[in-house]
Amino acid sequence: MSKFIQACLSALLIICLSSPSSALESESVDTGKVVASLVSSHDVVSPGERVDIALRTVLDPKWHTYWRNPGDSGEPVQIKWTLPDGVMLDGGLYWPLPDTIPTGPIINYGFEGAPLFPQGFIVPKSAQVGDVLNVSAHVYYLVCYDVCIPEQADLTLSLQVGEMAFDNRWRDMIAIAKSETPKRGNIQGGIKKMGDNVEMTFTDIPENADLSAAYFFPYDQGVLAHSETQTLIFATNGIALKTAAEFLWSQNQGSASLPKTLSGVLRFEQDGEKTGQVIELSVGQTLDIGKREAPALERSVLDDAVTAPAKITFFAAIIGAFLGGLVLNLMPCVFPVISIKALSIAKSAHGERSAIRKNAWLYTLGVIATFLLLVVALLALKAGGSEIGWGFQLQSPKLVAGLALLMFIIGLNLLGVFEIGTNLQNTGSGLVKAGDDSALSSFMTGALAVIVATPCTAPFMAGAVGYALAQPAYVTLAVFMALAIGFALPFLLIAYIPGALSKLPKPGPWMIRFREILAFPMFAAAIWLVWVLSLQAGESGVLNILFAMLAFGFAVWLFKRSHVVSKLLGGVALILAVALPVTITPNAVTPSNLEYQAWSVEKVAELRAEGRAVFVDFTAAWCVTCKVNEKLVLEKEAVKQIFIDTDTAFLVADWTNKDDVIARELAKYGRSGVPLYLYFTPGQNSVSPVILPQVLTESVLREVLTGAQ
Amino acid sequence: MLTLKTMSFAALTALSFAIAVPASAKIATGANVSDMSVVDSNGVTHNLSDFAGKNVVLEWTNDGCPYVKKHYSTNNMQETQKMATADGDTVWLSVISSAPGKQGYVSGEEANALTTSRGAAPTAVVLDSEGTMGRAFSAQTTPHMYIIDANQTLVYQGAIDDNRSASPATVAGATNYVKAALTDIKAGNPVSVSDTAPYGCSVKYGS
Repeated sequence: MSKFIQACLSALLIICLSSPSSALESESVDTGKVVASLVSSHDVVSPGERVDIALRTVLDPKWHTYWRNPGDSGEPVQIKWTLPDGVMLDGGLYWPLPDTIPTGPIINYGFEGAPLFPQGFIVPKSAQVGDVLNVSAHVYYLVCYDVCIPEQADLTLSLQVGEMAFDNRWRDMIAIAKSETPKRGNIQGGIKKMGDNVEMTFTDIPENADLSAAYFFPYDQGVLAHSETQTLIFATNGIALKTAAEFLWSQNQGSASLPKTLSGVLRFEQDGEKTGQVIELSVGQTLDIGKREAPALERSVLDDAVTAPAKITFFAAIIGAFLGGLVLNLMPCVFPVISIKALSIAKSAHGERSAIRKNAWLYTLGVIATFLLLVVALLALKAGGSEIGWGFQLQSPKLVAGLALLMFIIGLNLLGVFEIGTNLQNTGSGLVKAGDDSALSSFMTGALAVIVATPCTAPFMAGAVGYALAQPAYVTLAVFMALAIGFALPFLLIAYIPGALSKLPKPGPWMIRFREILAFPMFAAAIWLVWVLSLQAGESGVLNILFAMLAFGFAVWLFKRSHVVSKLLGGVALILAVALPVTITPNAVTPSNLEYQAWSVEKVAELRAEGRAVFVDFTAAWCVTCKVNEKLVLEKEAVKQIFIDTDTAFLVADWTNKDDVIARELAKYGRSGVPLYLYFTPGQNSVSPVILPQVLTESVLREVLTGAQ
Repeated sequence: MLTLKTMSFAALTALSFAIAVPASAKIATGANVSDMSVVDSNGVTHNLSDFAGKNVVLEWTNDGCPYVKKHYSTNNMQETQKMATADGDTVWLSVISSAPGKQGYVSGEEANALTTSRGAAPTAVVLDSEGTMGRAFSAQTTPHMYIIDANQTLVYQGAIDDNRSASPATVAGATNYVKAALTDIKAGNPVSVSDTAPYGCSVKYGS
């Protein structure tokens, strides 16, 4: 009893000195920069009941103590309990939510003010009413401001056993501290090394959470570089935090030393208050957080490349499409057509300016009308349920063959093999004839320029077009119109800028040579299209188109004869030339190399069930970026060796021909076109793959593939 | 401007270069560390490359820091210094990165007086009040230890030992990582524990 009275007296003393309410509290110890005490949720406890006792530390202003992971320096608050017989700890210490405390370049995790550290205890059933339980704690903490001071105190709190009675002051404070302590919730997390960085991905985030200041506090040191910024990336289904990796991830440590999960606290805001949730991050995993936006804190080239698909705004898409249109004029398949027209304008530059302007406008009209037709066709196909993306026109071998023939014909025309007047039936070739500036010709030049430009379009406008296709029809239309205007602009500028015309070279005999030289890019384009066709329709397709070209050449020769039979035969040959490409049928595409396997959703599942790492290459023969990646990276011996060394399965999803399954898979990752490169980490079935940058490098591949080993 | 970038091959190439840029400035274990000029307490300029062929131990220190006191009051740091430099194949640099007015900042004379009074045995005490060397190594704490081998490769960085307390009583029985690493190096073996989390007071950099 005497101890109880003593406790009451000491409590009374504190009440008198500090606070007006009744309180069960140990004697306070001023350790220098901190005043420490133990406080209890109960004045009196019953046998078998649970009681919370908290370490209360009141820090001098500006001074701080440290969280369980102190960050770059410092030492955590430590409590050693000495308990009476039978009293048991119940659960762990309730650590408050930490703050980041910067000191120069160093970041610490800790507390300022008056943090409370509650701990649960169970009073034994054997305790007798009237007993006094002395709960003692040796507490140690490093307290720092401009300097650091280790301080310690021995504290004892005496609990009376009897009829359960709450302490009204500390009970509430302790309850608040406990509720504010981060706990496990529904948020799921993964962590994966990517180069020198680690990326954490989080899903199942509460509805009303404000993540704009999200920060992850790891429990362990050596995981994240505490002093580096955590770059936040919003996504449709979660968030990602990216920061620099610490030494636990480095090669010489071996990832064997990393545990399967790394725990810590994700801090965010809810209803304007800071809160946190304890999360076990699965090591080596990237969760499917959906479509990503650009990083919120730092937008760098690196992030753009790695976190694609990045969000493209309407404005950016319009600008991109416009510039893409401008650039298209310089493409090898377009340039000859355009230059001939430019020369034709140059020739008439000495004529009337109004006529030149009229021609420029007609050309623009031709460009816009053709683009409109393309968009309408595309929208119609989309509305009809087809899974299509840009470049769709090249997925039909018939169209590819037709384009190849067209390129061949234009080439012959440029070489001067045949000259055809401006009669309507022959607009296709006659319109590029130098010196021809009739209204129809100008319009048709615009149309032809767009048609020959289409094979070149896809790699240049992937972002803008991909965005446009995923948007409502009017946005698609707007983006394509921007493309058309960009494409036509150089001509309008020539017609309207005074002096621009006089800058064009004077016409002369050199124009004929120039025109002939331009035939060769057209033939090159034809060869490329024939090659695409060889992948789409095999040898028979190639044979077919070559015969069509032969027939056309023969028709041209026959037309030059004056006899009526020749003309007739020429007509037949011409019909044959046009008809042949139409009969071409697509082939099933087989992988060109034995190391590669054809992609399917089932194949991925099967290989992953075997525990293998899987790399998927979404590609198409007409995709220039894909080809560049293949030639410069994927087909390099050193890179092949990485695949062999890491036993990574190489799956090819070939989108050269239209394929709805592939289109749907692309859409899953926010893409409407190729390339797309996915990497599935071995042995983890529940997670989505790593999306590699659209521009591959050997080092990126090496990091991703070997990082999982 | 993302769309713009993806639109030209020049930009594509630029992108592929950009990907290779490391995100963190921290010197990784295994990296080469050579060209760095430092001035010691006697005003002598050294370059880390001068020490090629010898091991170099870097010790970030601040005499006011309790964790530094722990290792000096128990003679642990002095013993480690003597063990390292005994064979003449190892150079020991104690580095003070405290800014003027901050805890641990000392003049050359004061630094030498500290060395004498503590019976310390560093090869030299580097005065880094600008924090240049400290930031280059991302030194975070006092003490924070680094070992560079004879090939000028960083082979250890982290704590002095595995007991992260400020209490001098904890020195006995702790595993001294620096001694262990030096033993590995002197025996011609790779360093078995090459990275640990440093502990102690924060380095008192000027802001």
